[in-house]
Amino acid sequence: MPATSYLALGAILFCIGLYGVLTKRNAVLVLFSIELMLNAANINLVAFSKFGLYANQMGQVFTLFTITIAAAEAAVGIAILFALYRNRNTTHADEFDTMKG
Amino acid sequence: MKTLIDFDWTVMAPELTIAGMAALLSVIDLFLHPNKDRRFFMWPTLIAIGTAIGFVATQWGKPAYQILADTYRVDDFAFVFKMILLIGTALVAVISYGAFRREKGFAEGEYYYLLLVALLGGMVMTSSGDLITLFVGLELLSIATYILVGMRKRAITSNEAAWKNVVLGGVASAFILYGMSFLYGLTGSTNLFTMKERLGEALTSGYDLYAWLALFLIVFGFGFKVAVAPFHMWVPDVYQGAPTPITAFLAVISKTAAFALMLRVFLTGFLPLFQGGGGTLVDEETGGRLLLTMAGLSMILGTVIALRQQDAKRLLAYSSIAQAGVILVPMATWGPFLFPSTVYYLVGYLFTTLGAFTVLMLIEGDAGDSKLSSFAGLSRRAPLTAGAMALFLLSLAGIPVTVGFFGKFYILMNAIVTGSPEHWAMYLIAGIMLMTTVASYFYYFGIIRMMYFRPPQRREGLRVPVGAMMVIGIAFIATLGLGLMPQWILGILGNLDWGAALSPVK
Amino acid sequence: MTYTASYLAVAVFFLLGLALPVVALTAGRFLRPDKPSAEKSISYESGVDPTGDSWVQFNVRYYLFALLFVVFDVETVFLYPWAVVYDALRADMGLFVLGEMLFFVFFLVIGLAYAWKKKVLEWT
Repeated sequence: MPATSYLALGAILFCIGLYGVLTKRNAVLVLFSIELMLNAANINLVAFSKFGLYANQMGQVFTLFTITIAAAEAAVGIAILFALYRNRNTTHADEFDTMKG
Repeated sequence: MKTLIDFDWTVMAPELTIAGMAALLSVIDLFLHPNKDRRFFMWPTLIAIGTAIGFVATQWGKPAYQILADTYRVDDFAFVFKMILLIGTALVAVISYGAFRREKGFAEGEYYYLLLVALLGGMVMTSSGDLITLFVGLELLSIATYILVGMRKRAITSNEAAWKNVVLGGVASAFILYGMSFLYGLTGSTNLFTMKERLGEALTSGYDLYAWLALFLIVFGFGFKVAVAPFHMWVPDVYQGAPTPITAFLAVISKTAAFALMLRVFLTGFLPLFQGGGGTLVDEETGGRLLLTMAGLSMILGTVIALRQQDAKRLLAYSSIAQAGVILVPMATWGPFLFPSTVYYLVGYLFTTLGAFTVLMLIEGDAGDSKLSSFAGLSRRAPLTAGAMALFLLSLAGIPVTVGFFGKFYILMNAIVTGSPEHWAMYLIAGIMLMTTVASYFYYFGIIRMMYFRPPQRREGLRVPVGAMMVIGIAFIATLGLGLMPQWILGILGNLDWGAALSPVK
Repeated sequence: MTYTASYLAVAVFFLLGLALPVVALTAGRFLRPDKPSAEKSISYESGVDPTGDSWVQFNVRYYLFALLFVVFDVETVFLYPWAVVYDALRADMGLFVLGEMLFFVFFLVIGLAYAWKKKVLEWT
């Protein structure tokens, strides 16, 4: 399947994103990493719409929707980060630890 | 040529009502003077939900119908779940009335229409027959709840809860989407029913590992959304930081919608994986085992960690993880009462959990925190509220004569019926269910002991607003009534055509 | 075989890409006169003397504008495909196609009105 290289790219991006979410201290980078993960899925969808077992346009349509959703999610994420920054004066994600139990 | 206008658009009336009211409220909110009290938004919200309930009720029992190029389907399955979501959101809206008076800079207008938007997302989730619609609905619900959780802008806990929710929710969405992309690659379709047919072929033609990868990724994401172990780490913090009505919304509406989604996807699109159809590394029981493990882990972890909680909100959060494990049991064991037992439990869970969170909200408003000790002496300060809370806790614990008991009993029966010497895991899960239920008595009775056998910290009575009183009353009647007369709702659930949800409309 | 062979071109490009800056910079080093002074070693900032740290905090309003831009920019993703197939679709179901998009744009306008009313569009 010639899609393998695209799938590999998608998998690598997804893993980089996941790694970033789990390890990065900077909250903005965490949001970036989530975007990477979503875009990895988009690469998969577009690759499959050309090289999938039943290649058709549907994958690209799906991608349009996920791009919009990712933008909305990033916007909300940044907005929440603002509110947090105003109260805590830091963007270090590991300092967001008021609640424990 | 059939055009879009020829379709029966009235089947979407509930969704259109909710969307229209959300749009209308957002416009009204914009042009109203900024200093004006926006509490009255509760009324239009209730009217919209009431109208939508009316529409669902009139359509109830009609044959399944598909619209928008088969992406949207209206069937009995969707009706039941929509009804639960609508009633739940209505109750949340009622307890929110005036609950944020003391909150500075609280955007009350936005609060109500975001609640409607989240509800709309949930409704889209319950009746979508297509991956794209499904994902859009899921994100509509998720993004709206991210904002709702962080509504208390000045409170650091609320901000942090929203941040954790947005990050972990985003990761879960990415997992679901990544899994869906593989599913699409194998089947070339986003329609759940086309997928079911083609996935069987993909399994036998050497692509089974991709199919399993898709299942694992999607289970991972759904695990986050329904909040079962081992994907539960966000739950306690988010539940604690969110405004209490929103905690109730997350515990009831978000969870119910995610379960509806899970049932739909696993019983249609992924069905070939659960029924088996060849494969090398993994056999057809792997999917079931995966769900069983998650259910068992949730019940054990949720119960054990809840035992040492000092904060009532966190305690209820862990208890909701354990409850999610219970709700997952029918899906993991299958069996003849899969749908009715799940839905019955969800209906009971809706009323008891909402009731318990309402009382918690009142305590929180009174004492300023949600510590267990704030419940001390409640029976003397507000005997009726304390009595209702005791009933809710008994129901959550699964003591007879309450809805919780019968729900657990039904699920237990369903699990045991499917068990056999080869399927010993079913007996195991039933055993875990019994053990954790007994263990949960400790922490539920801990709150009851606090309410009845500890001296109150304050003399004066607890102030109970009319809205909260009504919700507590409704939840009380439902918890007791459905427990005493389960046959009434079981009759309704038994008459529904669950099979319609599993097959495409010709 | 041909599939893996196509990676040969990638490898060649990769090596060329590595070689180009190395060769250019090394050649420059040997050819240029070398007379450093304090004035010359200041980092170049369009002829203006650089002041302060390079890590400056941007005004929060940039983010708000950027957010607004991203959200509305991305919505055009739906307008383009719709515009491309508009004629074909209209032959099929008439003006309903237009109505559908107007419905979508209506919700966007509510969003824009929200931003306007909340004074996100003003820089004060």
